[in-house]
Amino acid sequence: MLCQKCGKNTATTHIRTVVGGVVKELNLCSHCAAAEGYTSLSHNSLAGMLASMFGEAVELGSHQSIKCSVCGSTFSDIAKNGKVGCAECYKTFNQELLPYLKRVHGSTKHVGKIPNRAPLIVVEEKETVESLKNQLNRLVSEEKYEQAAVIRDKIREMEAKGNE
Amino acid sequence: MSSWYDNCGFDNEIVISTRIRLARNLSSLPFPSIMTAEQNEQLKQKVKEAIAGSNTPFAKTLKYIDMSAVPKNEINAMVERHIISPEFSKKAEGKALVISDDESISIMIGEEDHIRIQIILGGLQLEKAYAIIEQLDSILDASLHFAFDENLGYLTECPTNLGTGLRASVMMHLPISERTGEISRISENVSKIGFTVRGTYGEGTKAAASLYQISNQVTLGISEKNALDNLKIIATGILEKEKAAREGLDKITLEDSVFRTLGTLKNARILNSDEMIGLLSMIKLGTSMGILNREINPIKLLIEEKPYMLMKKHGEVSPSERDILRAADIREALKEF
Repeated sequence: MLCQKCGKNTATTHIRTVVGGVVKELNLCSHCAAAEGYTSLSHNSLAGMLASMFGEAVELGSHQSIKCSVCGSTFSDIAKNGKVGCAECYKTFNQELLPYLKRVHGSTKHVGKIPNRAPLIVVEEKETVESLKNQLNRLVSEEKYEQAAVIRDKIREMEAKGNE
Repeated sequence: MSSWYDNCGFDNEIVISTRIRLARNLSSLPFPSIMTAEQNEQLKQKVKEAIAGSNTPFAKTLKYIDMSAVPKNEINAMVERHIISPEFSKKAEGKALVISDDESISIMIGEEDHIRIQIILGGLQLEKAYAIIEQLDSILDASLHFAFDENLGYLTECPTNLGTGLRASVMMHLPISERTGEISRISENVSKIGFTVRGTYGEGTKAAASLYQISNQVTLGISEKNALDNLKIIATGILEKEKAAREGLDKITLEDSVFRTLGTLKNARILNSDEMIGLLSMIKLGTSMGILNREINPIKLLIEEKPYMLMKKHGEVSPSERDILRAADIREALKEF
């Protein structure tokens, strides 16, 4: 089979991506695969895949000089082994990481368990009617009706304020 | 105290075990790959204190073990009975394990994440396993304050675990689906919806004894409940396919294979690990189809006669001596049947 990009060389790299349930397949020659950033896909672990995807961004981006204020990792450190340095790195390199999270998980928004202490922090930082509605839906689906009632009242209160 | 594999032989014909793990990290320390030895020590102390000071039944039932104090053979035996991950077993230094008497709960300290909590139970028990792990997670979080972000969920060293940090897997015995090639079709289909089918010992291993692990891959943008519900639906679907394929087998041919296998195991004098695995898989098919006595627990034998598990019982012996001891153990276990 010939490379689907250049149409000249034999395709040696088969790339398969699954994003949000949609499968895309591509057959490329080694040259075009490298140009597309799929350089180290040969080791087929997820970490390797991440590293190769990150690698693409490191080449394109200008973030190599930025260091995480807590652990000192640079984005190229993270890209190299597909491992993040510390919790703070996720804030420092948020913009760089988001496209890759989207590729791997098909989403960039956590919808699962929230530690008991977290809602308090979340409330202080940012609380919109929409985020409360999401919380409400989650609590209802988990049949936590008492907690859901508290959130429902909060939404009413906020909506009433907004209408004033 | 009975282990998960003591309870997987009877009703649980096709689903052998259920395992759930949560990846958690302390927000106060860098992730394991760049942690200093001193920070590593702090991590172990914090987790140890969090459990001891939790004032819950877990404080009494969970035991803290420094991995550097565990002999290498025993560490390998832990991997063989699925109590710790192969990754965790590679280097004992700096690592610690918190474990329950029946080994259904294990907390690996210093794996890829600061903490990996695991629950393993016999059969298909996703709800029960999650209820235990969820409770333990909340108790630990109360004093350890796991790294959590409103948008990204629980923060993990590898971004593939972000969100819930939950990996749930069911181990299934699928000899007929394997033979018909159904398993590769299943594997392809479930990969499209964020699930994966792998060999017995996790990433990068091939299936032995037709035992497959089906697990969720996506952890961000899906709730724990949805991930577990989906896994249950998938596992049930695979189970029904395997059952249907078994119905179609020629009864006498199957009985012949099963009883010949039993004959081999009851008479063999030398049995290496690979041969045992293949034969016990056939015995498992025989017990779950009612051809053999259901009191035979091939999975228990399979685990207990693996090289390091065998040496746990018989002491350090050479591979050729192991093959002789293995054959003798299995003859003894099957002598009533």
